[in-house]
Amino acid sequence: MTTEDISGTARAAGPAAVPRREVVRVSGLRKEYGDTVALNGVSLQISAGEAVAVMGPSGCGKSTLLNMIAGLDRPSAGSVRVHDEDLAAINETGLALFRRRRIGMIFQFFNLIDDLPAIDNVALAAQLTGTPARQARRRALELLDELGIADRKNVYPAALSGGERQRVAVARALMNRPALLLADEPTGALDSHAGEQVMDLLLDLNELGQTLLLVTHDQRLATRCASRVVTMADGRITGERTLERSA
Amino acid sequence: MSAVWRASRAAVRRRRLQTAVIGVVVLVSSTALVVALGLLDIASGPFDRLFGQAHGAHVIATFDAAKVSGAQLAQTAHRPGVRASAGPFPQAVIEVPQSAASQSLGMEPGPLQVVGRADPGGPLDRLDLFTGHWATGRGQIVLALPDVPGLGKGPNSPIGKRIQLPGLPPLTVVGLASSVSETAQAWVSPHQIAALHPTTYQMLYRFDQATTARQITVYTAAATADLPSGSLLAHQSYLALKAQIASKPNAFVPFLMAFGILGLLVAVLIVGNVVSGAVVSGFRHIGVLKSLGFTPNQVVAVYLMMVCVPATAGAVAGTALGALVAQPLLHQVFTGADLGTVIVTPTIASWVYATTALGMPAVVLLAALIPALRAHRLSAARAISAGSAPGGGRGRAVQRWLTGVGMPRPVTLGLGLPLARPGRAMLTVCAVLLGVATATLATGLSATMVSYGNAVEGAGRAQVIVDRGEARVGQTVPKHGDTAAQALLRGLPQAAHVSAVGYVNVRLLGQNQEVTIEGQRGDRSALQDDLARGRWMRGPGEVVASGRFLSKEGLRLGDSFALAAADGRQQRVRLVGEVMSGPADSLRADWTTVTALAPGAQASQYWVRLIKGADAGTYMKAVRAADPGLYPSAKTSVNAGAVTVIGSAALLTLMLTVVAAMGVFNTVVLNSRERRRDLGMLKSIGMTPRQVTVMMVVSMAGLGLLGGILGLPLGVVAYRVVIPVTEHSANLTFPDRMLEVWHPGSMTLLALAGVAIAALGAVLPARTAARQTIAQVLHTE
Repeated sequence: MTTEDISGTARAAGPAAVPRREVVRVSGLRKEYGDTVALNGVSLQISAGEAVAVMGPSGCGKSTLLNMIAGLDRPSAGSVRVHDEDLAAINETGLALFRRRRIGMIFQFFNLIDDLPAIDNVALAAQLTGTPARQARRRALELLDELGIADRKNVYPAALSGGERQRVAVARALMNRPALLLADEPTGALDSHAGEQVMDLLLDLNELGQTLLLVTHDQRLATRCASRVVTMADGRITGERTLERSA
Repeated sequence: MSAVWRASRAAVRRRRLQTAVIGVVVLVSSTALVVALGLLDIASGPFDRLFGQAHGAHVIATFDAAKVSGAQLAQTAHRPGVRASAGPFPQAVIEVPQSAASQSLGMEPGPLQVVGRADPGGPLDRLDLFTGHWATGRGQIVLALPDVPGLGKGPNSPIGKRIQLPGLPPLTVVGLASSVSETAQAWVSPHQIAALHPTTYQMLYRFDQATTARQITVYTAAATADLPSGSLLAHQSYLALKAQIASKPNAFVPFLMAFGILGLLVAVLIVGNVVSGAVVSGFRHIGVLKSLGFTPNQVVAVYLMMVCVPATAGAVAGTALGALVAQPLLHQVFTGADLGTVIVTPTIASWVYATTALGMPAVVLLAALIPALRAHRLSAARAISAGSAPGGGRGRAVQRWLTGVGMPRPVTLGLGLPLARPGRAMLTVCAVLLGVATATLATGLSATMVSYGNAVEGAGRAQVIVDRGEARVGQTVPKHGDTAAQALLRGLPQAAHVSAVGYVNVRLLGQNQEVTIEGQRGDRSALQDDLARGRWMRGPGEVVASGRFLSKEGLRLGDSFALAAADGRQQRVRLVGEVMSGPADSLRADWTTVTALAPGAQASQYWVRLIKGADAGTYMKAVRAADPGLYPSAKTSVNAGAVTVIGSAALLTLMLTVVAAMGVFNTVVLNSRERRRDLGMLKSIGMTPRQVTVMMVVSMAGLGLLGGILGLPLGVVAYRVVIPVTEHSANLTFPDRMLEVWHPGSMTLLALAGVAIAALGAVLPARTAARQTIAQVLHTE
């Protein structure tokens, strides 16, 4: 497996290489929903090749932070810069193009389109950019092959196992060679065996240079995949620690 | 029950958009339904209603006073089958000379049927004495005229005019009245009629059954069975009158009925689609209610109540709006629907409102009941899962194929979306289909009716019509004689062609009823181009008539018959052409045919065609200056009938198109709600708002195109059905050129109208879907 084979991201020198390019810079982020403050002065930097896990209890603002970084929601105050682009200065169409170029997203519940087989779910991300169907399918097949589910390419989501669905979702997220892979509870809906498989996959990706931001409750996922863990409570970052990954 | 009510109220509040859509769709549909049913109601019975109000006579019988006495006739009132009778009224026919006719408006030279009646009321034929008073004394007469503005008062009113008849004392017009049964041309008092030497009696009968000509013949024979042989000279059935006077509104009825039926279908279909969609999209909520302990019946009650609240409000408001819209529309449609001497004022029957206000919620209830009963049978868990998203597995082969099609992915995704809900897609196609069929029918009928109206009115041919002044209406008599006036008009600057038109009353040889010949002299290029079949007359002895005349007399093109003038002159004529429309007692002929029967005949009107770019106003000033006895007027090129058809067709088409578009709107709202997770995912991988909008609009545009392609032939078929019915019911004949209304370009546009309807309905909810925040939906199950 090579870096180009899977993520397509220029391979970083490895976890120890310094200084690395900054991919995400969040400064003084605040988000309010009516009277509820979901984020309150959050600041965070993520460098290329890092794997950062955000942990905390339900309602602490983890997913909101993820949405802000993905450009799915806009902050009430503060700024988010990804690859030096200030997301606040970009309109909705620009944000869509930004996500297309820079971001890959993995969700707890996969969010695959039920009416499309695995290969077309993966190819979709490239087709939105105007890539011809044949070319997009070729790339999708390569990704499915790398993720070990090429033989399931024509199977519809309903007939895939949870682990297989998440692999399809990962393949889709990697389709456009994103600079940043965002994962929201990627093992939350999986049994332990499938969860292990996904953890291995994310770890492999990161070791190949893919920058990762994980939001999770799963301590095992965090310690296994992340090089840094950020903890949150009540919309604030309450702690941060660098980890030695478990093998 | 309170739990059901609370849950329903909460559901209504929570689904404001859905509730509003149901309310608005039912409102617009109810309005369309009132118009549709109102059309059907009024078109089917304006005469019957008036006839009933006026206690019209089923039969007007004329008896020979020399063979039967008044007492004998009075006895016929008690014969079997006679429900009511009036008479005997003495009746006289007096000859009105030209000199007397010129003394009063409403008087024509020739025979005048006068009846002696003591009052305008009575058990039958209650007259509408709209001006003046009844003729009670000697020397007084009441004329039968329609109640039109300006006739009762003013300088042209006949009231107070003295009519001098040869050998009789003068008669003064003291009143004007109209009879729905057309029982006489004038009435005098019983004392006065004696002075007019009556030779016949008039009896009016109303029978127990009189819906067919056979029943009327049988009952008339029974009523007069005991009378002396030969005493019954003639009897006139009201059915003939009904057929004759109903012909004008009937010209519009077939197409208005077609619109009515289409309106009905669209309204019911859309309401069904919207309501069933609302219930299906609420399956998840149904499951939640069941899990909370609501019984299946309570759940069904919640959903029925949820849709009935906006539906009832919409139906009531729509019925009220329908009353506001339909009344002026129908008034315009039926304006000028002159029922002989009675003017119709259309009013919509109360059953129309009641049917709409009660029927529409019933349709809603039925449409909601079917999916609600399905929910009734589902377990809570299955209802929850059924409501979250459409089940997969439908049309996957097509979706797979679409993936590889060389079109932008949002477009192919959009085309595949409807396959997930084939039932809903089919109803949406049907709605668009009916919308396109309506538009097709409307454009076809409008084109035909405009073409017909222009031909009948002579639009674009004559710009000025000049009438000869008449002393009896207070006008100056022209200085120039007939042919001199025509020459004068032709010689004025800017005149290109001048055609003279005059009228002469004659009879078909061997018949009593009069026929009016419209004689035409000069170039035809200034006159109407309304020939339907055959050709125009080219010389003496050739005539052209309407289809109504042909059917009444049992004639065909090429047949010959003789005409006889009052002084005994005769002329044999041959039918060479048929005009599109016209009275049953009128012919058109060359002027030489007219003068062969009436050598002294004069034209009363001149149709003037001006040179290109001429100013009609300047020409009319020149006419007035040349002879003050010539009265020019600008010829309007607007045909009132065509305007009515176009106006009502446009309104109804717009209404039905809006309803169809609302059906599409609702489908997109439901789809985007059900597909919000997919939409969120697509946005998360970089689908732009514009691409989302395109996808959602295309999802409906595909259905719109299908609806358009299927609706086009349906509209053409409806047109092919409506046109012959119109021709038959209104005694019209459309030439083939007027039926060639569609061309490849216009048909393509009509097929694309389905796309337009779909896009119109889809664009707003699609844009809303494109803008909605999707962050939340992606992270929760």
